[in-house]
Amino acid sequence: MTIKTKKILVPLDGSKNSIRGLDMAIHLARRSQGTITALAVKTVPGIYAIHPLGFLDFNSMKEVKKLLADAKLRAAKKGIQLTGKAIAGDPGYDIARFANNSKNGIDLIVVGARGRGSAKEIFLGSVSNYVLHKSKKPVLVVK
Amino acid sequence: MTVNSFKKILVPIDGSSYSEKALKRACDFVEAFGSEIILIYVVEKSIPINLLDRKEYLEILQKFGTKILDKSKRTLSKRGIPAKTFLKEGNIVNEIEKVAKKEKCNLIIVGNKGLGSVARFLLGSISNKISQLSLCSVLIVK
Repeated sequence: MTIKTKKILVPLDGSKNSIRGLDMAIHLARRSQGTITALAVKTVPGIYAIHPLGFLDFNSMKEVKKLLADAKLRAAKKGIQLTGKAIAGDPGYDIARFANNSKNGIDLIVVGARGRGSAKEIFLGSVSNYVLHKSKKPVLVVK
Repeated sequence: MTVNSFKKILVPIDGSSYSEKALKRACDFVEAFGSEIILIYVVEKSIPINLLDRKEYLEILQKFGTKILDKSKRTLSKRGIPAKTFLKEGNIVNEIEKVAKKEKCNLIIVGNKGLGSVARFLLGSISNKISQLSLCSVLIVK
């Protein structure tokens, strides 16, 4: 049996930990000749889902797009193909949903142990924890 | 790239089908990275057991542990992978942490749940604790 991690999902939020997760994913992808799918989620507070003008925040996706461009550059340097995806919503929920969607065919999720949440680096962040519990795919937590 | 090269992989096993899956995944890693596998079985000591039966009970568990370790070692050696095995006693998470620290493991591979039946649908309690507390990376096999 060969290693089957063809498609790796890396949720990004711009924190140091997520970059480390990306590095790890690149490392793994090089071994298995896989591709990486980077997922950047823009947090939208739940209240905007009801408000009709909630998504009219025009420069909102700018930051996310820049993040994905950076990631793409980083992967390209190592010769790995990276496809970026930007979505708006609740990070944990949308990452898990994206991963579980069989259309995307994700084999492995690589998450940093902690995002932009807090200073306590040793412990698991809330989003990582959520993804860990809800995903049906293997999860690698990078510390 | 930093030091993340997966030189040593710790695989805690408990005899459940999930731990077998984890072991299989570990084999993949060995083939890809040429890493070393360390197997561990922990005899749970912290659960309250009847005082009189305690010794007997622990003995049975230990026997079970060695059996599981032998079995896993055999499956590994079929693929030509050498493995170190540990049989520990005490609190499961603590012992796994201790071994991971002592052996300087780079990665822990666990199944998403074990033999415990409480959290059937979610992440097992042990896997959860390991992923929260461990200092090295954790791969959770589903």
